[in-house]
Parts: sequence; C-alpha cells; structure tokens
Amino acid sequence: MEATLEQHLDETMKHPSIVGVLVTDQQGHNLGCRGSLSDEHGGVVSVLAKQAAGLSKDPTDSPTVCLESDTGNVLVRTHGSITVAVHKMAC
Amino acid sequence: MGCCYSSENETAEERKQLIPNPNPESKPLHGTDWSASNVPSARTDEQALLTSILTKTAQNIIDVSATDSQGMEQHEYMDKARQYSSKLAVLRNTLPQNKAHFLPSLTSQPHQVLASDLVPYSDVQQVSKIAAYAYSAISQIKVDAKEELVVQFAIP
Amino acid sequence: MTTAALTQGLERIPDQLGYLVISEEGVLASAGELENDEHTAGVIMQMVRTACRFRLQGAAEPPFKRISVMLEDFVYTVTVSGQKVFVVKRQNNQHAPVTV
Repeated sequence: MEATLEQHLDETMKHPSIVGVLVTDQQGHNLGCRGSLSDEHGGVVSVLAKQAAGLSKDPTDSPTVCLESDTGNVLVRTHGSITVAVHKMAC
Repeated sequence: MGCCYSSENETAEERKQLIPNPNPESKPLHGTDWSASNVPSARTDEQALLTSILTKTAQNIIDVSATDSQGMEQHEYMDKARQYSSKLAVLRNTLPQNKAHFLPSLTSQPHQVLASDLVPYSDVQQVSKIAAYAYSAISQIKVDAKEELVVQFAIP
Repeated sequence: MTTAALTQGLERIPDQLGYLVISEEGVLASAGELENDEHTAGVIMQMVRTACRFRLQGAAEPPFKRISVMLEDFVYTVTVSGQKVFVVKRQNNQHAPVTV
C-alpha cells in the first residue's frame, strides 16, 4: 500500500535541484524520506509546521515555512494529516 | 570470557554481584512463605521444574520491602534538608543565567538578510503539489482487517 | 546598539508592512501591522527555537540564515542576530508564477 508514496518520493527526487524529501505524520514520525532529509528531521519539521499554523487567522491559509541559506532552502508544508519537507538547492 | 569474548581468563571479579545479596537467608520473601520445608516429599518432574523456576526467580528478584531500612531521626532529616537548601542557593547564584535560552546568531547582517529576495512562488507551488500528492498516496494506506483482533477464550 | 539603529534598516525595506525586534526579555520594538502584536512575537519565538535545532549532515550550526513563513498575501521573514530576533512582515505579491 505504501508503494504509491515510495514511488512519489522517487519521482520527487528526480527533479534536478531537489536533494532531499521527508514526509511525517502529525507526531513527527517518518512516513518516508530520501536524500539529505531523514528520521532525525521529523520532529523539528512537524513541530515547525504546527507552530506556523498559529500565525494566520484564516484556517484555510496553509503556511509554507522556508529555512533559507545561500546554498539552498528547506521548504515545509502541511497537507491534511501529513507534513512534507523538501530540500532544494539553489541553482 | 570478558566482554564480547575479549579475554580468555575468566576472573572471579567478573562474576561478583554488583548489589550484595539483598535477601539474606534469614529474611523470607515478603508475602511468600517459601522455605525448604514446603517442598512436598513426592517430587515429580513437574514439581522439580516449578521449584527450579521459583529458585531462579527468587535469586533474580530484589525484594525492596524485605531489606533493612535505615531510619533517620527527625533532627538528622532537618539538618540534611538545611544542608541541601544552602548548597542549592549557592549554586543558583554562581551558575550563569539563562543558559538554556541561548539563541545561535544566524547572521551579522539582519537588515540585509531580511530585505533580500523572497523564496520564488514557483518553489512554494512545487512543494504544495508534492505535499498534496503525498497526502493522497498516504490515504491509500489503511488497515486491512483479516481476522478478529480480540478473541474470547473458551472458559467452561 | 540603540533601538533606533536596530529598526532603521527594517523600516527601509521597501515592501514591509510591519516589523518586530524581540529579545529574551520580550519585544524591544514593533511597528506597522506588527505593532504590539505579542501573539505573533510569541509564535515566532517558538518557531525560532524549534528551527534552530535543525541540523543538516551533522553540522554544529543551523544551516540557514533566514526563516520565512509564506502565507497567502504576505510573508514573515525572520532572522537572529546578536541574541535578538528580527521579524519583518512583507507583501507577497508574486502570485503569478514566473515564466522564463
């Protein structure tokens, strides 16, 4: 049943500038990961997304949290009960 | 053998118990009246097996309620409490404050960093799509109940 | 650094809608849409503490200079310098994807 998710993660990693991807549940448990992002990042990623949700009064406005550096960004976004983090290198 | 078979010599030191026998022979286990006289004279194999299990368990159990407790006098207790509070007060004053609140500096040019270009909207859209696909992929994972999880034992 | 020196640079950011400067003790300065916004200050501080625990490839330091929270119409850009957290709320008008 998890083949679809695994396939999706593989497809995501095919993008030239994406070097890491992570999917967690609301408790920060790793549901799947590739590349530079792994188990150890699950906690921070899920908590960060949850905290960011408190910044908008509009509950439908889902925030994207970006950790930015000169070499690349880690973008975090929640969809439903899961949180996804993507590590993208700068071109 | 030593740790992970690291040495050939088995010394008595390695076999020494870390906690000296907590249940000296004189004190029976709390709640059980276990002693040699309880073993029935008709020893079946099963009885021997049960006895050996009991022996092993007794050797491995540390019965806290059966150990001697050293009672403290009221004044000893008060003295100790006073000693500890004064020690704590000293430490509270000498330890550096707010060690846990240390925030690492991310940049020496905050204004420049905050003014620079935002993450391109296309990237945000891309991650949003990746998240949506991931969510639908996850939704395919569900419990496939094949049997009853809870069964009743047939108790006659 | 005086408060004026801290906030001058922030005021000059072209599309800024407001800003906050926060320290361990609390809000040092606030303006625009973030004036007296203790709630946002609190949430941002929590996020900064969480984000600063993020590490890549076992590095000793957090691997980023800025944290951005992108919302529908605006963005919160956040950074930390000299034990102070700087937050600027900026307009987010790049809704149309850039075609090159």
